[in-house]
Amino acid sequence: MVDAFAYVPAVVLLPFFSFLVALGAGKYLPKGGAFGGIAATAGSFLLSLWIATAVAGGRAYNETLYTWAAGDQFELTFGALIDPLSALMLVIVTLVALLVHVFSLGYMNDEGETGLPRYYAGLGLFTASMLGFVVADNLLMAFMFFELVGLCSYLLIGFHFREPGPPSAAKKAFLVTRFGDYFFLVGVVAVFATFGTAAFAGEGSFPALAEAALAGSGDVWTPGGLELQTWLTVVGLLVLGGVVGKSAQFPLHTWLPDAMEGPTPVSALIHAATMVAAGVYLVARMYGFYVLTPTTLAVIAFIGGFTALFAATMGVVKDELKQVLAYSTISQYGYMMLALGAGGYVAAVFHLTTHAFFKALLFLGAGSVIIAMHHNEDMWDMGGLKAKMPVTYYTFLAGSLALAGIFPFAGFWSKDEILYEALVHGLNEPLLLGGYLMGLLAVPVTAFYTFRMVFLTFHGEPRSATARDPEPVRWNVKGPLSVLGTLAVVTGFINMVPVQKVLGLEGIDYLHRWLDNEWGGIEGLSSHHYADLGPYSSGYIAGGEVPTVLVGAAVSLGLALAGLGLAWRLYNVASPTEHTAKLGGIKDVLYNNYYLDELQVWIAYRTEDVAGGADTFDQGIIDGVVNGVSSVSLLGGSRVRRIQTGLVTQYAAMLTLGLIALLVLLGVNGGWFL
Amino acid sequence: MSSVAPAWTALSPALLLGLTGLALLLVDTIRPNERSNTSMAVVSALGALASLSVTVWFVIAGTGHADAGGAITLLEGAVKVDTLALFFTAIFASVTALVVVAAHDYFHDHQRPAAFYSLTLFAATGMALLAVANSLAVVFVALEMVSLPSYALVAFLKKDRGSVEAGLKYFLVGALSSAVFLFGISLVYAATGSLIFGEVASAVESLDALAGVAGVGIVMIVGGVAFKTASVPFHFWAPEAYEGAPAPVSAFLSSASKAAGFVVAFRVFTEAFPLGASVAAGIDWALAFAVVAAVTMTLGNFAAAVQEEVKRMLAYSSIGHAGYALIGLAALSTGSAGNEAVMGAAMAHLLVYGFMNTGAFLFVAMAERWGIGRTFEDYAGLARRAPVACTAMAVFMFSLAGLPPFAGFFSKYFLFMGAIENGFLWLAGLGAVNSVVSLYYYSRVVRAMFLDDPATPSALDAIDVRPTALYAAVVFAAVATVLLLPGFGPVIEAAEAAAAALF
Repeated sequence: MVDAFAYVPAVVLLPFFSFLVALGAGKYLPKGGAFGGIAATAGSFLLSLWIATAVAGGRAYNETLYTWAAGDQFELTFGALIDPLSALMLVIVTLVALLVHVFSLGYMNDEGETGLPRYYAGLGLFTASMLGFVVADNLLMAFMFFELVGLCSYLLIGFHFREPGPPSAAKKAFLVTRFGDYFFLVGVVAVFATFGTAAFAGEGSFPALAEAALAGSGDVWTPGGLELQTWLTVVGLLVLGGVVGKSAQFPLHTWLPDAMEGPTPVSALIHAATMVAAGVYLVARMYGFYVLTPTTLAVIAFIGGFTALFAATMGVVKDELKQVLAYSTISQYGYMMLALGAGGYVAAVFHLTTHAFFKALLFLGAGSVIIAMHHNEDMWDMGGLKAKMPVTYYTFLAGSLALAGIFPFAGFWSKDEILYEALVHGLNEPLLLGGYLMGLLAVPVTAFYTFRMVFLTFHGEPRSATARDPEPVRWNVKGPLSVLGTLAVVTGFINMVPVQKVLGLEGIDYLHRWLDNEWGGIEGLSSHHYADLGPYSSGYIAGGEVPTVLVGAAVSLGLALAGLGLAWRLYNVASPTEHTAKLGGIKDVLYNNYYLDELQVWIAYRTEDVAGGADTFDQGIIDGVVNGVSSVSLLGGSRVRRIQTGLVTQYAAMLTLGLIALLVLLGVNGGWFL
Repeated sequence: MSSVAPAWTALSPALLLGLTGLALLLVDTIRPNERSNTSMAVVSALGALASLSVTVWFVIAGTGHADAGGAITLLEGAVKVDTLALFFTAIFASVTALVVVAAHDYFHDHQRPAAFYSLTLFAATGMALLAVANSLAVVFVALEMVSLPSYALVAFLKKDRGSVEAGLKYFLVGALSSAVFLFGISLVYAATGSLIFGEVASAVESLDALAGVAGVGIVMIVGGVAFKTASVPFHFWAPEAYEGAPAPVSAFLSSASKAAGFVVAFRVFTEAFPLGASVAAGIDWALAFAVVAAVTMTLGNFAAAVQEEVKRMLAYSSIGHAGYALIGLAALSTGSAGNEAVMGAAMAHLLVYGFMNTGAFLFVAMAERWGIGRTFEDYAGLARRAPVACTAMAVFMFSLAGLPPFAGFFSKYFLFMGAIENGFLWLAGLGAVNSVVSLYYYSRVVRAMFLDDPATPSALDAIDVRPTALYAAVVFAAVATVLLLPGFGPVIEAAEAAAAALF
């Protein structure tokens, strides 16, 4: 039988080829190269399924494919690491990418956009970069593809580069994530310096070495006699910088709402499966390293919990459909970080999976509404779309129920597990408990803004002429929506831990067993191993595990329903009015995103002042020296040039004199004339 | 293979070149009135390529390598074929092939181009002979065999005053240098009683009172080498000869002829005057080379920075590169393990230089063929009319300046690293400073071609011909310059192996 793992590079290369094709020949192809992209991502998807089947068959893959630089200290390589985590992620990324490609036919081609080859080339490269990142077997390779992902997001967010907004948003996304990546890069170097390798898995991988070193065996480098634990924390936090930037966590989340300037399918791809997911995936990928440093975990959990609540509050007052979704993305990734920080590795991956589907669904649904509304995104101009576009409505509703965490939709299961993990581990950890409380508080807020969005968009009376007569959408929009809608309903069933715990049904926590290498995987990369290494112990409330499960689920579901109910009361009326005025002064703060953008601009200007000083130094002193050197050089050059007189007799004379000078030098030096 | 073939076949690269030259003469004698530029060019290119193939085959088969029975000596030890000789023969044959192909277009309207090809081939034969020379007498004869055709080649454009004047100056300086060199040989013979390198080396160990005589002789031999490699103070001929000569000849002289000077230097100074014995006798020739290298690279680069004409700039830059390559001899120290590395790096640099410098001069030949001017300003906007050739030229320029990702970066890097590890930090530092200066004038060419606008819109209308063979030669040289980067591993290994055999 042909080995599925032999096709791992093909998964990455297929979208890359579609990028090349769209770039080189997109002009001559029908639909601007869309079919090439669809074929490539479909191929990648099928290969990913095959690979996942192989992993389910009990196998794994960890190979170095190409060594591009080798030195005495370490080697820099490209390789592929296929374990349950990356196999799952491959399926998610390729599926979402495929659906986004199909959807683009409706959103871009049917709308008569120009520059389509550029668009499909960008999508292809974006998908390829993300897939390369997913299969990366070492941190440096991951970093390189991480950067490629950033580059592609820049290209795609700025797709409409002739308008003022998108280029600026693209630059912001690029610069803010770059700020985080700077720390990441330093972290990569630190990992190489510390362990001499950046491999994720295997005997000599850096998590394994760190584990051994902490256990007292093995020898790793630390700078300036720093204590090992402290240094590992520093390294972990450095890499975390890149994660915070890419996954739009506080305080580097500001780029993401602006990134809504990109075409909506791109937003779906960025938020559901690629760029933002990359950060969380990276933490999951090197989770064996993070569990070793409790401080880092606590920081991750706290940042995550805070971001979850913080972003949710801002989503409450937004008027534009995609803006609400943007803040919900930040908030949901906050949950994932909370889970990772709380030791809930499986919970985080679970939420990553369900979120990928329901967030892609919501964005594509929003895209469908935007097509119908002739690219007006203001929810106050919508209303009553429910009857006109039923497919969009019901799928969007499924996604919203999942996002709000309503039983039995996908988001309920994953969010509930995150909160459960944070609770049971947080009872002995105050910082973690803080994260849990913030996560819990975010639940009703999430439900509220989600259903505010649903009611304003689809319910009530149409509030504008376009809403009364929306443009119909075609199969290429409805198809992806239906697929994702189904997934948003059923994905939660892959991991029904609460049901298992309460009813005692063994074996229905498939994702747990999958990530625990029950079918196959790589030694040292299992959730069990991480749990053994982790610093947390479990505590229960209400006298035991089952009551804790029940109380936790009931509280979060109750809060979600409360938020939903409030939204129902305020906005599910024939002609809803703005209630934000009741918020008083808080409203302005929320509208302006807590003035964080202003703060960043202020910091940027102060940086500019410092840069101005450096510039003066550079212009005056450094350039002065450089200019001085060059004028001295040129002067010297013209002097030298004068030696060349053109007269052979003078040449002969100088030649002889030179020879004599050499003779004298060596003669005196060697003592020949004594 | 030496067990099968007679030993003289080891000389077949040189013999092939010589026979090709004779064949060209023969054809030209039988049919003197036919303008047979194309057939001449084809025959000489085939001869050069045949020689190159045999050389590469020998290198791969290990002829003369220590693992395959060691160096092959012929003619009572006066000739010695080893890896060093083959390595340099490969350089000579490659450059010769490139030059004769390019010359086909350059001399397209010349009355009697036939002599050019035979002279080039004979000069190349001399170089190949120089590479295998193992006796001072053979060195001198071979050196003259390179020089005499070169004088004629520089003055090849008989009706061009610049060409004739350059030829005469070259000849006069060359005659003086040959005299110095020959006098040096005679002094060494007087002191050591032999001309064969090995015997000279053993005599150097017991010089006693004759150290002064031998010392003067050795410094004079340094002078002869400096002439051939266009190093200070024997460099005066170079700017004028390179500028006045037909551009393919400039390419030939500045690449192949210079490399020929270096092969002599590498062999004579390691085999006939081993550093340990020489220093013990008070003859520290490495010091002489260090001084010459430092002055040469500085003078060459600084003078190149102020030139207005591209060809003259290249002439001075070629002097500067001689300075770099001399580090291979200057940065030696007695008994150091790093000697092989630094000399090997110098050899590798000469190989890379053979391609990039030849390519650059051939680009100038193309510009001359087009009839655009000679200054930097005349090259303005050229990239719009001839993008491929200009890209190739940009590759040459950046590679000459030693920028990654081109082969010139690696060869220079290894050279400087070798010097540093042998304790010659100052020499490497000076080389680095000079490289910075060189970046200035090399990038001027690129800027003119790609960024500047032509002085007048019609300035480039002269470019209406596509000299195919010149194009092919330039592009081939560019491809080689780029491919030598991934292929640098085998090159530096071969070069270090060649150097290792010398110590």
